[in-house]
Amino acid sequence: MRRSSVHWERFLWVALTISLVLLVLPQANFIVLSFHADTGLGQVSDELTLENYVRLFIDPFYLHAFWLTVYLSALSAGSALLLGFPAAYALARIGGWIAPAILGLVLTTSLITIVVKLMGLNIILGPLGMLNNQAGVLIGLVQYTLPLIVVLLFGVVQTIPVALEEAAAILGATRRATFWRVLLPNARPGLVSSGLIAFNMCMGAFTSAVLLGGGRVRTVPVLIQQMIIQDTNYARGAALSTALVAFVFLLNLIVVAMISRSSRHAH
Amino acid sequence: MAKVSVEGVSKSYGDVRVVDNVSLTIPQGEFVVLLGPSGCGKTTTLRMIAGFVDPDEGRIQIGDEDVTHMAPRLRNVGMVFQHYALFPNMTVAENIGFGLRQHRVPRAETAARVTELLALIQMPTRGNSPISALSGGQQQRVALARALANSPRVLLMDEPLGALDLKLRETMQEELTRIQRELGVTTILVTHDQHEAMSLADRIVVMAHGRIQQVGTPDDLYMRPHTRFVAEFVGRNNFLSGRLEAAHGGEALVVLNCGASVRVPTRPGLVPGMSVELAVRPQHVMLGAADGITARLEERRFLGNVVHYAVRLPSGDMLLMERPTQAGLPEPGCDVVVSWQEDHAHLFDMQGDALHEA
Repeated sequence: MRRSSVHWERFLWVALTISLVLLVLPQANFIVLSFHADTGLGQVSDELTLENYVRLFIDPFYLHAFWLTVYLSALSAGSALLLGFPAAYALARIGGWIAPAILGLVLTTSLITIVVKLMGLNIILGPLGMLNNQAGVLIGLVQYTLPLIVVLLFGVVQTIPVALEEAAAILGATRRATFWRVLLPNARPGLVSSGLIAFNMCMGAFTSAVLLGGGRVRTVPVLIQQMIIQDTNYARGAALSTALVAFVFLLNLIVVAMISRSSRHAH
Repeated sequence: MAKVSVEGVSKSYGDVRVVDNVSLTIPQGEFVVLLGPSGCGKTTTLRMIAGFVDPDEGRIQIGDEDVTHMAPRLRNVGMVFQHYALFPNMTVAENIGFGLRQHRVPRAETAARVTELLALIQMPTRGNSPISALSGGQQQRVALARALANSPRVLLMDEPLGALDLKLRETMQEELTRIQRELGVTTILVTHDQHEAMSLADRIVVMAHGRIQQVGTPDDLYMRPHTRFVAEFVGRNNFLSGRLEAAHGGEALVVLNCGASVRVPTRPGLVPGMSVELAVRPQHVMLGAADGITARLEERRFLGNVVHYAVRLPSGDMLLMERPTQAGLPEPGCDVVVSWQEDHAHLFDMQGDALHEA
């Protein structure tokens, strides 16, 4: 008997082809470049080499850049979670028309291009001495990720019925005990995955680091840009970028594995 | 375990008076059911006793203590929530022991109490199970055990059986009755299901539009409804419009819209001429008496142990009649004479208040 179902997967081909041409092919080319020695002016030699990667691992300059990127990303993701959770909790519990209205505003601000937002921050942070240093970049990264964090955590809190908190209260739990024993454990998977998304965004954040760091806060994305545009060292830049992607990907895999293991453990 | 008294309690949200001057005294150990359609204020009343809703007016006492504005965690009441609200991050035993832990009960004592409660709910081996591994009925039992762990003064239940299927609900009703009798804990349960209310309650509180309509034992409500609302909501009833033709002592003569005159027992002192509604239950409608109302059987529905007939009266009014299933039941389409015993009918005025002896 012939089934008359629609083959929806056919519609994937258009998007897949566009992605292949615009993303995968240039990246593949980039990865190939990273395994050749740089001969100056954007040219590479023919023979294969691991030299570019070895340099990343032994040169303190690059190691520090990686450390700085992870440090700033983790700190800003953590700050965004701390700032975003109470707001998301309040929005999820208020209900009515106020919560969707405020969420709409939050989403709208996140659609304003980051350049415009950073220019505004520039004006405020300059006189405070928080421009062209790590503090400035950190503030920029938090501003960049906070709206998304609030929206994501709003969804997380909504999945935790308010009856759970009432049940804890009527069993004698204080607000503090309810937070630590009921709210936080049930929000944890959502907190981890939202934090990871913010962390990933920060790891690749170039605009905030450049505009608020003034070129002095050299995170990996900033170095990649300098390497390719200023030094025209395509091979080194490619290695740096490949290493960044691989590092972030690996970190995500580890966290996801840890989450699924702890949730399996709970069952 | 303690008595509960609610005195003149009201609550409004905006312009809507959700609970309107509700007063109720529940003696120690009684099983009371708040019954009413959705939006009648029963859940808000329960949540005010729990402490989740702050009353605008009135007073709530548990035992001799005024708890009107006391935080829920200080009230020592147990509550079973509509969808159980078990903590998904804890095992069955951790859920049941949660309240004891909050009250700093020593570990060994907590473990002993949890074992005891697991036995009470007949799940002695499931202490280490995660909540997600339980069926709906089991979650229900765990929620009950958790609510009872602190030996609460009052047990509150908000539509606790609503999420279960019919068979399981009946089993759980028996179980609830057994546990409540065994512990003698004062219990207040909220439901919109009249069968559930009648099977569980010592006393039922019928609510509508934020007010108490009637408080009484299940058979009280069924046999002597104080308002038209109770007569309609508890069990089934037919309502026929008519006019009070004459009243004498404890009896009235009513002329129904279909032209028939019927006698109904009432309280004395009624004034003839008023419009009234007569209520008669489907199973009290009889066939074949000589001095009844001639009517036509229109439809028949076979329901197993009983048969329902839709009966059309000469006025066009429809009457539901229930007969036990047996051989030789009349066919739809034929003309019959219907009647009922005088004392099976109730009379209400147009405000919906009963005109029989209270």
